[in-house]
Amino acid sequence: MKQILRNIFHSPRFVVGFVIFCIVLLLSFYPMVSIFTPMEIVGSGFHAPGTYVNIKSTIQSRSEELKYVGAAGLSNQFTAEELGKMQEWLVKYGGIDQAVVDEAAENDNAFLELWLSTYSDDVQYKATQAYKREMQKYNKQILRITATDSLEIGEGDSTITVKSNQFVNVKNISNRVTLPLGTDNFGADVLTKLTSAIGVSLKMGVMAGAIATAIGLTIGLLAGFLGGWVDNTLTFFTNLFTVIPSFVILVLIANSISQAGRSPAMVSLIIGITAWPWTARSVRSQVISLRNRDHVNLSKLSGHSTARIIVQDVLPYILSYVIMALILQIGSGILGEAQLSMLGLGPSTTTTATLGLMMNWANTFSAAQNGQWWAFVPVVLAITLISYSMNLMNTGLDQVFNPQLRD
Amino acid sequence: MGKAMLEVKNLRTKYVTRLGEDVYSVDGVSLKIEEGRSLGVAGESGCGKSTLALSMMGYYFPPLHYISGDIIIDGQNISGMDPDKVRTSVLGKEIAYIPQAAMNALNPTMKIIRFLEDVIRVHEPKATKAEIRERAEERFVSVGLGKEVLDRHAVELSGGMKQRTVIAVSTILSPKVLIADEPSSALDVTSQKLVIKMMREMMEKGYIGSMMFITHELPLLYNVTDDIAVMYAGQFVEYGSAKEMVFDPLHPYSHGLMGSILVPEEGTRGMNLTAIPGTPPNLKRPPKGCRFAERCKYATVECSYVAPIEKKFGENETRMYRCLKDEPWLRKTYEEEQGGASNE
Amino acid sequence: MKGFAKYYGKRLIWYLVTLVIAVFLNFMLPRLMPGDPISQLVSSAAAGVTDMNAYQKIVDQYTKEFGMDKPLIQQFFIYVGNLFKGNLGVSFAQYPKTVSAIIKESIGWTLALQIPALIVGWILGNVLGAVAAYIRKGWDKAVLPFFLFISNTPAFGLALVFVTYLAVKAGWFPVGRGYGSQFASPVASWEFVASVLKHYQLPFWTMVLISIGGQAIGMRSMSIYELNTDYVKYSRFLGIKDRKIVMYVFRNAMLPQITGLAMSLGSSVGGNLVAESIYSYPGIGSQMLKAISARDYPTLSACTLMITIMVLIANIVVEFLYAVVDPRIKAAQQDG
Repeated sequence: MKQILRNIFHSPRFVVGFVIFCIVLLLSFYPMVSIFTPMEIVGSGFHAPGTYVNIKSTIQSRSEELKYVGAAGLSNQFTAEELGKMQEWLVKYGGIDQAVVDEAAENDNAFLELWLSTYSDDVQYKATQAYKREMQKYNKQILRITATDSLEIGEGDSTITVKSNQFVNVKNISNRVTLPLGTDNFGADVLTKLTSAIGVSLKMGVMAGAIATAIGLTIGLLAGFLGGWVDNTLTFFTNLFTVIPSFVILVLIANSISQAGRSPAMVSLIIGITAWPWTARSVRSQVISLRNRDHVNLSKLSGHSTARIIVQDVLPYILSYVIMALILQIGSGILGEAQLSMLGLGPSTTTTATLGLMMNWANTFSAAQNGQWWAFVPVVLAITLISYSMNLMNTGLDQVFNPQLRD
Repeated sequence: MGKAMLEVKNLRTKYVTRLGEDVYSVDGVSLKIEEGRSLGVAGESGCGKSTLALSMMGYYFPPLHYISGDIIIDGQNISGMDPDKVRTSVLGKEIAYIPQAAMNALNPTMKIIRFLEDVIRVHEPKATKAEIRERAEERFVSVGLGKEVLDRHAVELSGGMKQRTVIAVSTILSPKVLIADEPSSALDVTSQKLVIKMMREMMEKGYIGSMMFITHELPLLYNVTDDIAVMYAGQFVEYGSAKEMVFDPLHPYSHGLMGSILVPEEGTRGMNLTAIPGTPPNLKRPPKGCRFAERCKYATVECSYVAPIEKKFGENETRMYRCLKDEPWLRKTYEEEQGGASNE
Repeated sequence: MKGFAKYYGKRLIWYLVTLVIAVFLNFMLPRLMPGDPISQLVSSAAAGVTDMNAYQKIVDQYTKEFGMDKPLIQQFFIYVGNLFKGNLGVSFAQYPKTVSAIIKESIGWTLALQIPALIVGWILGNVLGAVAAYIRKGWDKAVLPFFLFISNTPAFGLALVFVTYLAVKAGWFPVGRGYGSQFASPVASWEFVASVLKHYQLPFWTMVLISIGGQAIGMRSMSIYELNTDYVKYSRFLGIKDRKIVMYVFRNAMLPQITGLAMSLGSSVGGNLVAESIYSYPGIGSQMLKAISARDYPTLSACTLMITIMVLIANIVVEFLYAVVDPRIKAAQQDG
């Protein structure tokens, strides 16, 4: 057992998949530390990722939180050296007489006027990029000092104006809220909602995968081990359901269950009972190759019951296959949930989100068409990462358990 | 003495394992096959005989690598040639190969004639389809396969048919040397006989200049080849004519191999090369002295330290053995052994 | 040849039986759910119909035509009978349009989108898998994992991403629909064709990209297997050039991948149909989504039936095509 585990963790694919999966799993614990609950409405509608300041509260604690930094002459904004460099530029590239520049340097306003009328970022001149960038920086600073726009914070009587040459230290604002992934159409924090949805979707995926694997395993075992008419019948149905797209069955069943009846557990169940055929198929072929092995025959001769033989002599040998199938089924269960939700047949819930529902909401509120990427790109990424990590772990395990696949 | 079709001088090649270790599977092999003659090579599995077959092709596909030695085909030394030239002008035309697993040697989804077109066009790019078909039909009929085989896919042929088709395909360009690596070991007895009969006929008809036949089934060699060489741990330990090798084996290893073949009717029974106790040495680090010393019941201390050289004798030096002991002593020992065996 | 014909005769019968069962399931599944969901559906339907009289008329018509008041088994035969006449009922949501008219309108779009996407994805995936198997290095370490990653994205997820970044932000492609809004309905003109092609790109490449990874990984392991077969070694020793041998290998590795095509069809059809609806593409997928949200049962049922039939036909075509092009299969069938 220890040896097997060591082999598994020596497969680079498995390790990469495992690490990705662990990271995603860790993310699902974020709602525990988040200041919001997953469905809590934080703002109104879509907001891009960023740090937001809640205005009213800011004003209430204005005396402490807002600090004004007045502009007190150019010498407060620039060092003497920097001013010298700017004067040098005016002479060298601006084509202004040294005397004119010297004169203007005596007066802040005259200098600003001269600079603004001569310099522009578009002026073409020969100098190193670093020099040009330095000049652009000074120019930006000057533009900020001379700008007359101002920002209004607050509403009604409590409006205050923060001039463009004034600063508010964001750190000192107590009601600052950082929304790393913005808010969705409901105005809920996407990060909290997403991470909680990852947890819910994973649970649904595990449930659907477990159901599908259990059904597939039972059918595969019975068909493969018993053979005869049992095998024929079960194989007929297995083949039937591999050809009829499971998607269709999924939609037909899900659509027939009323909105209220579609709990997350119910949706997992529906996904599980439509996803078993591939597992049944591969388990069956594994069991058939085992059926006539010596140890199985010995058990048969010893008069052990069929159930005992299956549990003791067959199951342990196909366990690795079953685990691999389960991993794949979990991944496709999550995809299945997303698919159903996109069609509007997902779980109906007001307390939790799922990855599929989040995508469905983003789609319904035209987030893609309006460029509100934060509402769905992280969700798509989460689904992809989960499914990808499952796939990597599966191929990694496959390489460990089927050495002939190694190349 | 006829013209030498194939001459190999002190050929050494090695395998490089996945872990980067060198395995010296062919370690100084020299041999000569004259026009119209055939040489059989026998040895236990793992002695390097299949590697020898591949090494003699003059083109080395990894993990097999050339170290030193000469391969001379009809006076032309191919071991110094540009590998690409070897591939286009020597392989298939001068020297041809029949692989061990001939069952799977043909591309299953290709008609035999299409494959023959590809083979012939490597060496004769201007050959037209009609010409190739004409030639192929003639040859296939002549070797008793029938021309309808040409339009079949490999998967549609039975095992024996596949085997004979592979032989016909390999020799379509009438190579000067044919190297056959256990071409019949996977077949049933009837098919084996057919294959061997076919190869002998091809020699007689001049489709094959000379032949090297590799096998682990000794009785086969006595019926098929003119000369026999015994290979052990990457080297020939003895060679001579089939008759000499069967009735007058010198090397203690050959004793073990040939002992029971004395009475040909019984020879096919109970032949088991692994009957000699012990296992061949690890060719990653060949022993310093005689390679057979560990398993030889006559080995002395000297044997473990001094590597025996090839001792040649007879007319044109057609007989060779590689042992520190001399010829009379070896003969005497063998006779005693035989006598002892019959007394028991 | 006889064994061959017999085998495929059997297969054809099997597919026919499967079709009958699929039709039965399509009819039965919604009706087997507790609480007689169909009558509930029918009575709660008609979201698009505001006039009470008109609504009652639709429901009455449906009830009569499909014998909703009769026993289930009788209903099934009425349903099959109607099916043969091409009568799929009247849409609840798009009254008085018939369902068969809706299907007729949209099925061409879906077929024209999904079949080429499937084939192109299959070809590109096979080429990538073959290259990865033969060259290894960067292809194996970077390109293949990248496409595997993409193929784990749900098609509709990739569609959403593309809409934002390639259509809205970059403006390279139209945001959605099958053709420009200046055309009220399809017309036979070059401008219309150009517009269709322009709108075709994004949905098409979405589906292609999704399918590459899965096909490539199968082709890669198959090619590695074939590269180590005896015929490769043998061909080399006959002097045949590597380039030619690689062609043998890829041909032999690619043929079994045809079954991979059929497999991917069944598993990708769902995601692709949903992706269609993201692009508001006028195909079955969009109709299905509309039908679900409008509780338009007859249209939904027809859509699922059409999808099943399309997948079944594709499976038959693939299976028979495979047998024709790969002599290994023919030989195996003849033996058995």
